[in-house]
Amino acid sequence: MKMWKRVCLWLVAWVAIACSSPKNSRLPILGIPEYKEVNGKIDTLYHTVPNFQFVDQDSALVTEATVADKIYVADFFFGTCPTICPVMKQQMLRVYEQFKDTPNFAILSHTIDPEHDTVAYLKDYSMRLGVPDNKTWHFLTGDKDKIYQIGSGEGYMVPLGENEDAPGGFIHSGAFLLVDKERRIRGKYDGTNPKEVTALINDIPKLLAEYEQ
Amino acid sequence: MIFRNCLPSMSSKLIVPILFALATATACGGGSSEGEQVLNRLNDTEIKYFTNGKRLYSTHCANCHMENGEGLGQLIPPLKGADYLLNDVGRAARIIVNGAKEPLIVNGIEYRQPMPGNTSLNASEVTEILTYITNAWGNSYGGVSLNQIKTALSTN
Ligand code: HEC
Repeated sequence: MKMWKRVCLWLVAWVAIACSSPKNSRLPILGIPEYKEVNGKIDTLYHTVPNFQFVDQDSALVTEATVADKIYVADFFFGTCPTICPVMKQQMLRVYEQFKDTPNFAILSHTIDPEHDTVAYLKDYSMRLGVPDNKTWHFLTGDKDKIYQIGSGEGYMVPLGENEDAPGGFIHSGAFLLVDKERRIRGKYDGTNPKEVTALINDIPKLLAEYEQ
Repeated sequence: MIFRNCLPSMSSKLIVPILFALATATACGGGSSEGEQVLNRLNDTEIKYFTNGKRLYSTHCANCHMENGEGLGQLIPPLKGADYLLNDVGRAARIIVNGAKEPLIVNGIEYRQPMPGNTSLNASEVTEILTYITNAWGNSYGGVSLNQIKTALSTN
């Protein structure tokens, strides 16, 4: 009988440990890595978002240097989008409210309709959304080709495109991408799905914790 | 065998909080729901409108005005508690079909984004949607009749 009790105790302890382990599990690194031989050793090169240069709602230049010491969430939208964008923005507001005062955190929302969504338009749009400044959340516009390029397989790996038959004239992804300080993509979430956005909100502190040593 | 021996030692520590949690969950789930109040307000035909309207709303409207009817910041106006909607349901019917291009003021706040029209919706569907949005989320307008909406839409 004594032995059974001891088995029970081990069982309980094991379950407790097993259940707590996700805390220190690292987020995955998305994209196809390349392997390179350097001085006889195999080096893994992860997919990273290339350098970029856009302008935000306050006419500030936003480049890779802006997020050099930050993790960030990226997405794509356009102001006159009749389909998924309002829900995406409602969900991104949840992320913003939670982390707007976190110093090493940013949000980059890229318009895919820069001809319509000018700096002035994005300022009005972001103010009306409830984002008073560009401290954390940058609404980006710029060269159209560059925006599509950074959305493509070279960058955030999301489907984007102009299409006359699509509602509002654009095909676009509702994805939110979580990017680390090395500009590796560490998570992809459906920005129209509140449950996935909750997962993102839970993953952000985990990613920040990787840099606290 | 193992678990039978485990239980006595765990019961006092674990079962009590579990029971407590269950009791709390049950207690909080009670109370009269919004659904019941809506049912009291509407007759059988109107309840059918309400149910169909909820489905149509999810398809055609919720992506902008949100499932909870609260809209989005100062970009998309709310329907929940919206004076603009509740003061003139006929006008709202015309907006649903034709869309809105001019700025409008809802509960004292000006909105300027255009709303696209839904020309594919017929008068019955518009009646169903209006029955839903004027009686959901605490709105308590009451019944909307098909005749009322047909008249409103004919004065386009
Ligand atoms: C693409 C986004 C979008 C969709 C889809 C949409 N609306 Fe709107 N709606 C708006 C905007 C933006 C306004 C404000 C228009 C303006 O300022 O001229 C508005 C205004 C309104 C108003 C009047 C203002 C108020 O809040 O009372 C009503 C009523 C309304 N919408 C109902 C609906 C219904 C019902 C549907 C579905 C059939 C719908 N809308 C679909 C964006 C949308």
